[in-house]
Amino acid sequence: MTKHKTGTREEWLAARLPLLKAEKELTRRGDELAQRRQELPWVRVDKAYRFGTDEGSASLTDLFRGRSQLLVYHFMFGPDYKAGCATCSTIADGFDGFAVHLANHDVMLSAVSRAPLAKLQAYKKRMGWKFPWASAHGGDFNFDFNVSFTEEQQREGRIEYNYERGGHAMDATTQVPEPVAVNAAMAGTDAATYTRERPGMSAFVLEDGVVYHTYSTYARGLDGLWGMYQWLDRAPKGRNEEGVWWLRHDEYDKRKAR
Amino acid sequence: MGNQVVSHEAWLKARLELLAAEKELTRQRDALTRRRMAMPWERVAKSYQFDGPKGALALADLFDGRSQLILYHFMFGPDWEEGCTSCSFWADNFNGIAIHLNHRDVTLAAVSRAPLARIGAYKKRMGWSFPWVSSAGSDFNRDYSVSFTAEELQKPVFFNYEMRKLPSDADEWPGISVFCKDETGAIFHTYSCYLRGIDMVNGAYQFLDLVPKGRDEDGFDFSMEWLRRHDEYDER
Repeated sequence: MTKHKTGTREEWLAARLPLLKAEKELTRRGDELAQRRQELPWVRVDKAYRFGTDEGSASLTDLFRGRSQLLVYHFMFGPDYKAGCATCSTIADGFDGFAVHLANHDVMLSAVSRAPLAKLQAYKKRMGWKFPWASAHGGDFNFDFNVSFTEEQQREGRIEYNYERGGHAMDATTQVPEPVAVNAAMAGTDAATYTRERPGMSAFVLEDGVVYHTYSTYARGLDGLWGMYQWLDRAPKGRNEEGVWWLRHDEYDKRKAR
Repeated sequence: MGNQVVSHEAWLKARLELLAAEKELTRQRDALTRRRMAMPWERVAKSYQFDGPKGALALADLFDGRSQLILYHFMFGPDWEEGCTSCSFWADNFNGIAIHLNHRDVTLAAVSRAPLARIGAYKKRMGWSFPWVSSAGSDFNRDYSVSFTAEELQKPVFFNYEMRKLPSDADEWPGISVFCKDETGAIFHTYSCYLRGIDMVNGAYQFLDLVPKGRDEDGFDFSMEWLRRHDEYDER
């Protein structure tokens, strides 16, 4: 028999109602922060970035595909990875299904990675995804938006990710945390190469032919965007994780679903 | 729109202030998850029967060998030709991630009052793979406060944990109900949420909360007026 506290419907409700109140407060707080994001000042993007896409060479403006807003998911897939990051692949499994709705609400969602286009295309095909995925191979885009770093920056401890220096587990160069090592192995690369790419989300707006950068978020800033975690947060055992438990969606059949 | 245009340094200053507030929100969200996990569980004594592709199923069967079950109350009434457009939006969100939840001991399934044949046809049209059962002929939807009779809707009903007057034709509502099964096979109801309680599991809205126009639904008669089923948008 379960050791968890059980109760009658009335006892359950007595706990549920104050939780509901707290949940409503959190929802309103989230709305306030969304409002604050919308009020952020914009920074004009003057640099002429070039990307490789399914349709050929593209500018940042082209990535908007006729919409006025662009969300870029900085998908960790460095030039030397053998496969896209398995963890990024789980967030992509969520947004692949709803990108069509955003595209019909004036928001183009695109992934951008530093691997050459052919690698992105092959991996996207393997995963069965439909969202646009551009290659920033050879350009400054990923470096300018703080999701790719040079070996030199890494060696000298000069990586600034999530608006701070040396504040993230992926910044460790000696004692590599286990989840980093596991993820690196799943991407078919070593920890140092793996962690020179980072995940993030950047928002841009196109107004009168000019592109502005409006917002970027990294690290746990992505947490609320990670569908699987928001569902697990509602399950009795919560996230129920120690280390990396997930695989790519086509790799699970190697393991019993439990 | 037409926000102030500034240098990167000035933007960064505003961004860092917002970042501090965002981190606080993330921690508050974590705290609520812990509170949810600490909720008492309510024993489910009643037996419910569902209709699945392989025949009749008990609530215990819906766990599909796992100990946790999340049911999405998908609005699809007995006489409806199609599933609800908004619920279809939510399903487009979770269809791709149900497999990951399976590997954390969670089965995610949908349940609706429509007959199974109609559910099956709609699921096929949408190209979804999550399990979806029919609760036609069972009290399940009514007991978990997502379906109401025409007679009940004449008066205030208990919905989203309060007595409220719902529109008299609004007989189906969306929500999430969560269940746990212990090693003896006893089933417990752990959690349910409705209305904006299901907001966080719609990733698209969380993404829209990052862009300059936000959810951008103010100009409509109802918030999701812009929304279509994914096969109903014009190609752009």
